[in-house]
Amino acid sequence: MTGAWVGWLPWAVAAWLFGVGLYGIISSRHYVHLIGCLTIVQSATYVLLLSIGYRRGAGPPIFHAHPPSTPAVDPVMQVLVLTDIVVGATVTALLLVLVLQFHKRRGIVDPQQAAPLT
Amino acid sequence: MIIAALAPFPVVLPLGVGALLLGVSKHLPRRGPDVLAILTAAATSVICGLLARSAAETGPITYWFGQWHLLGDQVVGISFVIDLASAGVGALVGFLFAATLVFAWGFFEEVHAHFHVIMLVFMAGMVGFCLTGDLINMFVWFELMSVAGFAATGFALRSSAIAGALNFTIVNTVGAYVFLAGIGLLYGQGGALDMVALGRSVAAHPNDPVMALGFVLIASALLTKAAQLPFQMWLGDAHAVAPSPVSVIFSGAMVSIGLFGLAKLGFRVFGGAPEIVGESRRALLVIGLASAVVGAMLALGQRHIKRLLAFSTISHAGIMLTGLSQMSQDGEAGLLAYLFGHGLVKGAMFMLAGFIAAKCGGIDEITLRGRGRDYWPVGIMMALGGLALAGLPFGPMDEGFKLIEHGAADAGQHWIATVLLVSATLTGAAVLRVAGRIFGGWGELSGDERHGETEEEQEPGHQPAVLLAGPAALLLGLGLIGWDDGGALASRAAAALIALPEQPAPALPGSPGPWIAVLCAVAITGFELARRHLPHWFVALVEAFRVPPTRVLQRMQSGLVTDYVTWLAVGLAVLATAFVFAV
Repeated sequence: MTGAWVGWLPWAVAAWLFGVGLYGIISSRHYVHLIGCLTIVQSATYVLLLSIGYRRGAGPPIFHAHPPSTPAVDPVMQVLVLTDIVVGATVTALLLVLVLQFHKRRGIVDPQQAAPLT
Repeated sequence: MIIAALAPFPVVLPLGVGALLLGVSKHLPRRGPDVLAILTAAATSVICGLLARSAAETGPITYWFGQWHLLGDQVVGISFVIDLASAGVGALVGFLFAATLVFAWGFFEEVHAHFHVIMLVFMAGMVGFCLTGDLINMFVWFELMSVAGFAATGFALRSSAIAGALNFTIVNTVGAYVFLAGIGLLYGQGGALDMVALGRSVAAHPNDPVMALGFVLIASALLTKAAQLPFQMWLGDAHAVAPSPVSVIFSGAMVSIGLFGLAKLGFRVFGGAPEIVGESRRALLVIGLASAVVGAMLALGQRHIKRLLAFSTISHAGIMLTGLSQMSQDGEAGLLAYLFGHGLVKGAMFMLAGFIAAKCGGIDEITLRGRGRDYWPVGIMMALGGLALAGLPFGPMDEGFKLIEHGAADAGQHWIATVLLVSATLTGAAVLRVAGRIFGGWGELSGDERHGETEEEQEPGHQPAVLLAGPAALLLGLGLIGWDDGGALASRAAAALIALPEQPAPALPGSPGPWIAVLCAVAITGFELARRHLPHWFVALVEAFRVPPTRVLQRMQSGLVTDYVTWLAVGLAVLATAFVFAV
């Protein structure tokens, strides 16, 4: 089942996205910006998963127009990405609601001033 | 076989009832959702118990969803693999939820059944996480319990609760993405998601660095959930600001379940990779001991009662991780027994913190001095809990500690037990001090120390005191009575967890260690409460040793999510380096 590697490029892109996303979170001064950076960290997982499931010269894993034995990319990874998207959407929505409520109560959106108990 | 048909119900039942409640709660009588949720949690616990008994008699039950199993020689289905340990932990989770929902009777008056729905989904996530035999399914349950936990933390919509929920959500979501990336790597190299099938691939290529990296990524996510150094920062905020019933579940079940998942991953998937197992022994031991000590010091330095208990949870989870790090039947049996005992005792302690917040009008130890005198029986319960945390040699926690001690002694590391006893002593002393100050009225402080630094917090206090304290008494009682052959049962469960032939349970003679720990905890409490009457030079001497390191630790615990994610990144980098170079 191991997918044929596309090469090192997608790995490098995934690592880069993970790194810059994390840096963005660490240095963030605005919660909405921080949530955006979290989405970038998540994009790293999309790239990683899709590249793992990719096979050179294979089609999509939908056997409507062509017979089931033709080569296709690994559908399991695509399913994982779908799961990932659902998780990401849920968490992002929840985080945005929390930020909105936080801004209503404290009037700030800077994560570096927002310690809950000090 | 009729029992095996119950396999999917521990998750189907709470999810189904949750969905139903969401739809019909408007038409139910006022207390309808409470009753329905309590019954559902109790039923889930009973089903898990039946499954555990059946698994103990006839071996693990494997349930393939939709009957999908094999296609050629490929595993294509998703399974629950229900063994004694998994179902047993599931039963504990269900029981804790049932007790918590009784405790939370009428806690949130204004909302329909949203709180109950979140709690039921939360429970389904945890139980599914315990029972599953498939990595991606494990991730889905992990996320389900995480998201339910995020929502439950911020549920009360106070500003501190929202800030705590934001920290919790962000740190744990980074953890979740790391988890998923790890699964991707394992699947890419091993070609399977089923834990047993993946374990076979790992055993065939035990020195693959990509597999090792996959292990590090998933382990980091689980250690984040289990709040172990350096991934632990979020916990002090989340557990402190969440509504008390939610904190009961967080500390009693969610944290230790992270460790349970890690044990499963370590044995079922990576059991055939000696280098990874060996490096886990070293790395997890260091992390466990550091968490035990740091958590204990932070707990003793706290005056916000729930935060104090939260830090003590880090410390006790560190003790469990030390057991896990032995990667042996004794160590895992210790982990399981300790998990049970700690879940019961710590759950009871958070309920008592909720009692204090509801009936004494605050959550700050110093300002509440003497305000609990009318509720002295609750004070006795809290003191008992403190003694149990310090190591009182009764009940499953003690059984677990002895097993961990035995495992460490087998490996020639006798000193480990001493470190663990010291940290348990400190957390126990912290809880005893709270009990003495609030319910006994002792430990008056001089003027400038009295100023509160914690936000005033009050929880709804209209419930009858018996309803708030009753479930805590039940949990505490169960946590302190000895179970017949508790150690043997834990050993059997551990053998099932690690999927190796069972070794005979070790004989565990009582040692004076726990009694010494209890005496020391009482002595430390005495020192803390009688400070004004002690010679000045003595107090200054003790403080000179205690205050500077505690200050440093407190400063690191900044409350800022940006710092927390930095620590997470550092921890990830260190672990990845250690493991990739080890294989």
